[in-house]
Amino acid sequence: MQWKLFADIAERAGTDAVAVRLDGDDPTVGDALDALLETYPALRERVLVDGEPESRDGIAPDVNVLLDGADVFTTADGLATEVSEGAELALFPPVSGG
Amino acid sequence: MTDLSLSPTQLDRYSRHVIMDEVGPDGQANLLDASVCCVGAGGLGSPVLAYLAAAGVGRVGIVDDDTVERSNLQRQVVHGDADVGRPKVDSAAEFVTGLNPDVTVDRHELRLDADTVTDLVADYDLVVDGSDNFPTRYVVNDACVIDGTPFVHGAIYRFEGQATTYLPGGPCYRCVFPEAPEPGTVPDCATTGVLGVLPGVVGGIMATEAVKHFVPVGDPLDDRMLVYDAADMTTDEVPVAKNPDCPVCGDQPTVRSLDDVSYSGTCAVE
Repeated sequence: MQWKLFADIAERAGTDAVAVRLDGDDPTVGDALDALLETYPALRERVLVDGEPESRDGIAPDVNVLLDGADVFTTADGLATEVSEGAELALFPPVSGG
Repeated sequence: MTDLSLSPTQLDRYSRHVIMDEVGPDGQANLLDASVCCVGAGGLGSPVLAYLAAAGVGRVGIVDDDTVERSNLQRQVVHGDADVGRPKVDSAAEFVTGLNPDVTVDRHELRLDADTVTDLVADYDLVVDGSDNFPTRYVVNDACVIDGTPFVHGAIYRFEGQATTYLPGGPCYRCVFPEAPEPGTVPDCATTGVLGVLPGVVGGIMATEAVKHFVPVGDPLDDRMLVYDAADMTTDEVPVAKNPDCPVCGDQPTVRSLDDVSYSGTCAVE
């Protein structure tokens, strides 16, 4: 599956597209995120926040986690959502420049 | 078919609109009757103001408390070299009236905040947010939702832009981004740079949304956020849906007035 990174998150990673392979059964968005953060540990402090409400599985409130374009927290089971091999995941933050 | 509300000069000026079935004299008359508040006269505000002026939007408010700096001129195309040091509202207003004397310009040389936003928003049919900071963006969103004023949002970062349109009753910016990033997390244009032509494209999209709204024609970005990448020359669309838990426009909103929110830091609703 493929991660697409936007704005300052892509800048931190130094790339805007990362392919990850997950070997286990029934991989989830959380597994794909773990694989991404293992390769790009600099993203950890931007994406994960201590003390976030359980409803966001520890993801920073300004970071949207998208599965095939849709927010996993409002349209699916958050990081527990299962993902298929061809899934496109994204980390999508707001920007403010004008 | 002619509309008596358009003068011969206006029929000439707007003839390429008037001959379009989708716009026509009625659509043009709607534009001439419209009022838009443009928040920010910078990179995004420049093309927005230029195209709203050219389209004949009848009254345009320009909100900005900055003066023109030379480093602005790489992208803020309504200001010229001789304007360096002048208030942006002045040079932007001169650009607008120079392009189209039909347009009445209101200059608002102030910083939009919770104290100043409400009266401004209520005085216009639509707001276009081309500001350059998160507190202003959350103030604009919350004030427009509470007042029931539609607004067009656009924002840029290096090579990327985001645009979406809020219509009363629909999802709002907080449905997508409930809170801003912690201050210091995301560098600003001065630190990270911005491709000069990027706001030209994103501001052009914002002006398009505003013009379509008044004609009216087409499908607005009211259920999606358009994401433009100038480097890859690609666009993405992120669906925007109403979040029932949204503190401003959700089923049980907790923000009833701007006094309920501190517009600093992450602009979070506690």
